[in-house]
Amino acid sequence: MIRLDLATPWGLTLALLPEILLCGWALVVLLVVSWRHRTAEDSRLAGWLSFAGVALSGAGLAALWVNGAVPDGLAHMVALDQFRYAASAIALISAGATILLSLGYLERERLLAPEYYPLVLLTTAGMMFLAGAEDLIVLFLGLEVMSVGVYVLAGYNRANAFSAEAALKYFLIGAFASGFLLYGIALVYGTTGTTNLSLAGAQLAGRPLPLMAALGLGLLLIGLGFKVAAVPFHMWAPDVYDGSPTPVTGYMATGVKAAAFAALVRVLFETFPSAISVWQPVVAALAVASMVVGNLIALAQRSIKRMLAYSSIGHAGYLLVAVWAGTPDGAGAVLLYLLAYGLTTLASFGLLAALGRGGERDVTFDDVAGLAETRPGIAFGLTVCMLSLLGFPLTFGFIGKWYIISAVVAQGQMILPVILVLTSVVSAAYYLPLIMAMYMRPAPSADHYASVRLAPAALGAIVLSVAAILLFGVWPGGVQDLATRSAETVTQTGLPMAERR
Amino acid sequence: MTQLLESTGFGQWILHVLILLPLLGVVPLLLGPESSAKRTALAVTILEFVLSVGLWWALDPALGGLQLVSDTPWIRSWGISYRVGIDGISLVMVLLTTAMMPLSVLASWHSIVKQERAFYALLLALLTGLLGVFIALDLFVFYIFFELMLIPMYFIIGIWGGANRLYAAIKFFIYTMAGSLLMLVAIVVMVWKVSEATGLMSFSYEFLLRNSAAVGSSAPWLFAAFALAFAIKVPIFPFHTWLPDAHVEAPTAGSVLLAAVMLKIGTYGFLRFAVPFFPQVALSPGVSRLIVVLAVIGIIYGALVAMVQPDIKKLVAYSSVSHLGFVMLGIWGGTVESVQGALMVMISHGFSTGALFLLIGMIYERRHTRMIDAYGGIARVVPIFSLIFTVVALSSIGLPGLNGFVGEFLVLLGAFPAYPWATVIATTGVIFAAAYLLWALQRMIFNPLDNPENQRLTDLTRRELAIMLPLLLGIIWLGLYPAPVLRRMEPSTQRYLQMVQPRVGAPSSIEVGSAAEVRP
Repeated sequence: MIRLDLATPWGLTLALLPEILLCGWALVVLLVVSWRHRTAEDSRLAGWLSFAGVALSGAGLAALWVNGAVPDGLAHMVALDQFRYAASAIALISAGATILLSLGYLERERLLAPEYYPLVLLTTAGMMFLAGAEDLIVLFLGLEVMSVGVYVLAGYNRANAFSAEAALKYFLIGAFASGFLLYGIALVYGTTGTTNLSLAGAQLAGRPLPLMAALGLGLLLIGLGFKVAAVPFHMWAPDVYDGSPTPVTGYMATGVKAAAFAALVRVLFETFPSAISVWQPVVAALAVASMVVGNLIALAQRSIKRMLAYSSIGHAGYLLVAVWAGTPDGAGAVLLYLLAYGLTTLASFGLLAALGRGGERDVTFDDVAGLAETRPGIAFGLTVCMLSLLGFPLTFGFIGKWYIISAVVAQGQMILPVILVLTSVVSAAYYLPLIMAMYMRPAPSADHYASVRLAPAALGAIVLSVAAILLFGVWPGGVQDLATRSAETVTQTGLPMAERR
Repeated sequence: MTQLLESTGFGQWILHVLILLPLLGVVPLLLGPESSAKRTALAVTILEFVLSVGLWWALDPALGGLQLVSDTPWIRSWGISYRVGIDGISLVMVLLTTAMMPLSVLASWHSIVKQERAFYALLLALLTGLLGVFIALDLFVFYIFFELMLIPMYFIIGIWGGANRLYAAIKFFIYTMAGSLLMLVAIVVMVWKVSEATGLMSFSYEFLLRNSAAVGSSAPWLFAAFALAFAIKVPIFPFHTWLPDAHVEAPTAGSVLLAAVMLKIGTYGFLRFAVPFFPQVALSPGVSRLIVVLAVIGIIYGALVAMVQPDIKKLVAYSSVSHLGFVMLGIWGGTVESVQGALMVMISHGFSTGALFLLIGMIYERRHTRMIDAYGGIARVVPIFSLIFTVVALSSIGLPGLNGFVGEFLVLLGAFPAYPWATVIATTGVIFAAAYLLWALQRMIFNPLDNPENQRLTDLTRRELAIMLPLLLGIIWLGLYPAPVLRRMEPSTQRYLQMVQPRVGAPSSIEVGSAAEVRP
């Protein structure tokens, strides 16, 4: 265990090592692409360089994590705890997979502007700031850095009107969300006189929540609710997910969601642990609405991408159930589920990207009919992903749901788990038809899928993800322990959660 | 025999081998050529059966408790371990499963023509899932096997099924999953409550059973969740609507396994988990009355609906609803006779209905129709088929001397003291069963041979005889001399009853002939 004094420049530099490495590397990549940005070759170079950047940042993160860096005294501005490391790791995994999946996709879609990759890196840096923010200002900065990058990525396919629509829609809604968030920050600062999460939490402890702080809490919840696409702040998600380039959709559904959930957990657990009776009903309402609405509307979708978009709203609901618990186990369940959902979603969107042909916008259920006959590998991968999203035993998704249910049941709550499993049954009615279409319906023609190509890099990422889904589904012990241990710290930096009982 | 088995350490490895062998068998099956897939599958399932027969001697029949228990930690922080073991009740279910499996493979020999490798691989995976359900002694492991067997069956129905297979497959899947996910929540809640009370988090069956009182006031809800999962699986009226679709659309092997084994998972679940965990709820007057009423409705309703089916496969499917009603009545009858009877119905329904589905599959392969009207007088062209069909149908009706009689008689006898009226009404179900099956028999087998297409039917081949003969032997053996099977199950049944209702533990003979005299 090493202690870092965050008041000194050296301590702060070390504390921000992963972020600094990532931003610095992004600038290097930008320099490279400024003179090499014409051919597919250049795009690939930028892609692999950026992947190396992710790996470098990951090494920095590992250095902090393995040495168990903790702050000397109170953490200012940025948290130094395992929760941050775990959430950052999920963001980095998401970024790395997105880059690998994009390599072939961008070439096929003729999107040869290699600035894409540094944008992914900078967006990821924003996510890591968001996930590690110990201060409301840093939280806001991280959110903005992340969001601005994602707006651009969503509209990356300039020639496509739907992509432009996605970017504009996301930008407008995002601006609103930022407004809410910022106003919430102002109100919390106004009540407590500090923007530090733990100090504000100390100010709020031991007395009923002042009205101004309650308003601030509500606005913060709305702002972050937009980012995680919880009902009723979800209206943008389907169009944006649908219109964006498919790897970007995967990135949004995993990285953005993970970072926003990490920030949500931090704010609720560190600043508002004393107000748990205030935010628990709100979070429960959001969770139920997201689970019900997301899963029911997903039933009616014909396009697989839209179906996954609505189902991601449902998954945000499951994650909110875990947040509701308000315990270290709840935070652990958030982390574990984010990883499970992230790996599964990245693999699904990667496979979906391979199935869409150049310029084609939607892959519908009919477009995968009989896939298993000629492309058994892709069909198997998608099947594992769908079963994991469904939460079927021996997949990672099941372990995630199991952890959520355990964490919530341990708080004596039975209604939320029951709604969670019932909406999961509903979700079976749209995940299974995809499997059905692939295995049980005939292909339109024998060579229908001859043109489906899976680039080697994407193949690697997908194989690794699917293997991880199955591996962690069967031997979840290690990764589950890790999530539990990582989550313990988020409540230790703040006030002990036990006080509220 | 027992010494011979002990010398090989049989008890230590047999359960693990039974679970792993089919999965290992999948590898050569998938790697080998398409044409040899069925041979590999047959070899594996026969080996599996031969090995499982050893359990008959490996189990000490004098002990009622769980035996051959082994425990391997799996997810330590949640107290989950891979824990397996059997008692007399699981023993017969395991043997029923392993016995049906080679027959299902043989029944698919010519009828499965596309993607053979995938089909037989799924059958083997299904075998693992089914066996796992019957031997799992950790609730997490049980739940995983319970869900896991859905996938192979879903694909078997969905890919190799009849015209309406997609609808049937998804209905089957979603019905079962809806019940089992609520059970999942109940399992977590139960483990949590027990861990609060004892300070130890464990999913071990025996541990939870010992401490099941700790669930306190939530027992009714937990029982409801468990009961719903198993009620859908049985299926108890009104949760039966998935059954006709799934049975009719599934290929023969799928129907056989569904009827012979998978339905029994529901009743097994009641006997192993739902009732022993929450006896104070399960056997309370209100719940008992509800279940008994539903069971009787199932018996009568299933029989009446079966009577009007023009499709012979659907007729047999609905007759399952009726038979399983007897099992439920027997479980709630609460005497050694009625529970033993319920177990006997489970076994003999597996033999009789499995055999009926096999015979229907055989005739369907020849004529490509299952409509009863399309047949008539075929006894003249296919005498062997007709003879076997008649014997099997009679056994399903419950003719004394054949297997169906023993179980249903014991159930009615055992349940009578507790529920005289329900038993009387249920008895009419036996008469209805005679009506629908004999009527179908008359229209298919006897009557004038007026359809010229039926004159070209060929009689059973040697492969088909090889499938039917073991079943016929079983049917006759269980009908004439069920004592060895009953003897294996009796200590476990006694133990079960002592567990759920301490007063009913008096030793009692289980000979069919003398059962009436020893009733207190």
